[in-house]
Amino acid sequence: MSSAEAAVELDGVQHSYGDVTAVGPVSLTVPAGEFLVLVGASGCGKSTLLRLIAGFEQPTLGTVRTGGTAPVPGRGAGLVFQQPRLFPWKTVGGNVELALRYAGIADRGARVTELLAGVGLHDVAHRRTWQISGGQQQRVAIARALAVPNPLLLLDEPFAALDALTRERLQEDLRRVSADTGRTCVFVTHSVDEAVFLGSRVVVLSARPGRIALDLPIDLPRTGIAPDELRGLPAYAALRSEIGHAVRAAATVREGVSP
Amino acid sequence: MSTSVSVPPAPAGADPGLGAPSAGRPAPAARGGRRRRLLLRLVSLLVLYVLWEVAARLVRNPTFIPAPAAVWHQLIVTSSTHDGIRGYSGHLLVEHLGVSLRRILIGSAIGIGGGLVLGVLMGTVGWLRVVVEPVVTFVRALPPLAYFSLFIIWFGIDETPKLWLLSIAALPPVAVATAAAVYSAPTGLVEAARALGAGRWQTTRDVVLPNALPEIFTGARLAVGVAYSSVVAAETINGVPGIGGLIRDAQRYSQTDVVVLGLFAIGLSGLLIDALLRTAEDRLIPWRGRS
Repeated sequence: MSSAEAAVELDGVQHSYGDVTAVGPVSLTVPAGEFLVLVGASGCGKSTLLRLIAGFEQPTLGTVRTGGTAPVPGRGAGLVFQQPRLFPWKTVGGNVELALRYAGIADRGARVTELLAGVGLHDVAHRRTWQISGGQQQRVAIARALAVPNPLLLLDEPFAALDALTRERLQEDLRRVSADTGRTCVFVTHSVDEAVFLGSRVVVLSARPGRIALDLPIDLPRTGIAPDELRGLPAYAALRSEIGHAVRAAATVREGVSP
Repeated sequence: MSTSVSVPPAPAGADPGLGAPSAGRPAPAARGGRRRRLLLRLVSLLVLYVLWEVAARLVRNPTFIPAPAAVWHQLIVTSSTHDGIRGYSGHLLVEHLGVSLRRILIGSAIGIGGGLVLGVLMGTVGWLRVVVEPVVTFVRALPPLAYFSLFIIWFGIDETPKLWLLSIAALPPVAVATAAAVYSAPTGLVEAARALGAGRWQTTRDVVLPNALPEIFTGARLAVGVAYSSVVAAETINGVPGIGGLIRDAQRYSQTDVVVLGLFAIGLSGLLIDALLRTAEDRLIPWRGRS
């Protein structure tokens, strides 16, 4: 794989907070268009890894490159957090509009409606952020992150705080949105099912300091299949079982190493 | 420490009708609570009035405690022209009050504006906070009357020293509140803005300042309060027309009923202005208390 095609390149990346090494060393190349899911138990440093890719943290060792250059927050990557992090002083539409404004995009009104419709939201642009449900807020956060045509979308457990039904709906929509836009996605989760459902590739991280314990391509159809049908495939169950096993093994090691 | 007697019996958090214009019609329970509170306030006012009346009659010394009727009479006298004398010291009560309110308005506007700028700078520039914070705290600890003498020496006895006094007195509460809110801007929202590509100035304008607005508003209300309590001090010298000048003159001639009238004028207008500010706050900051 030549570096020109790689959306994300991690080379011997390690990050420490003081004496504690949170993650690494990790070397990983994400080709453009891939949907990579990072899975691991809590505290394994998967969020730190995402923050390194976003440019919010600098690696203690090694290099991080996105699109061939060192990452800078707000350039080249959209970001969705676990909490929606909407600005309450802006309306729902205003939140999306702000992203378009920062990107210097003109004729924003129509684009806002379009982006909100893209994540399944209609007639909410004028509403206040606290007047819509948590699931809708997270949809707005995704629309806001997609507003700027960045090649990369980073998501840090975006559905963890939602109820099961809302989570499933948003997973389906994200799967569709990522197929529609063709963006490279790096998605962090602790849910094995979410990883298999969303990913075109799953990387399991070991307990702290997080290292790659398993790197697996997900050869499941990405379009033209109903979610229930996908979950019903024998291959789906097999992948789930394999990844689940790897995640549990990593967690066991963690308990053995650091009581 | 005095205990506040006007605290409503119901817990404030359980009252959705307060400060929530979008909440629609308040629930019957909340409406009942509001009515009860209004009744409580009316009863307490009535009790105060009766106590005042009784005290005035027992003491029988109008220079010590003027009767309510005497104060009412002075309200009429100072608001009209009697025997060729216009109001009090040649000005109607409304004019005295108007001049004082104008001073309060200009003084607090300058103070709030200055405090806002200073607070944002203090909250964003580290070394500036280290340098300026003790100075602001120092000024805040001074009674306004203490530095008024200095302003008299510098600016004479006309309008200038009074406006300086009110501005300097109103600045610290806004500066301190703004600096604290700007400094402690939530990392989550700042990061969200940076992830959208916002630069330093855009983050300040679109996230840090709007996020600080509730605290800034609280600071502004405090500032207006400080300006209010300082205006009487500012008007002790060459303060006519002005409520402070009126109170000062009335005290010299032992017109206690006029003193009390002046206190009422300033106190009631203060309540009114605070109510206006609170309404503006609800309008301008609908997200207060939500996230």
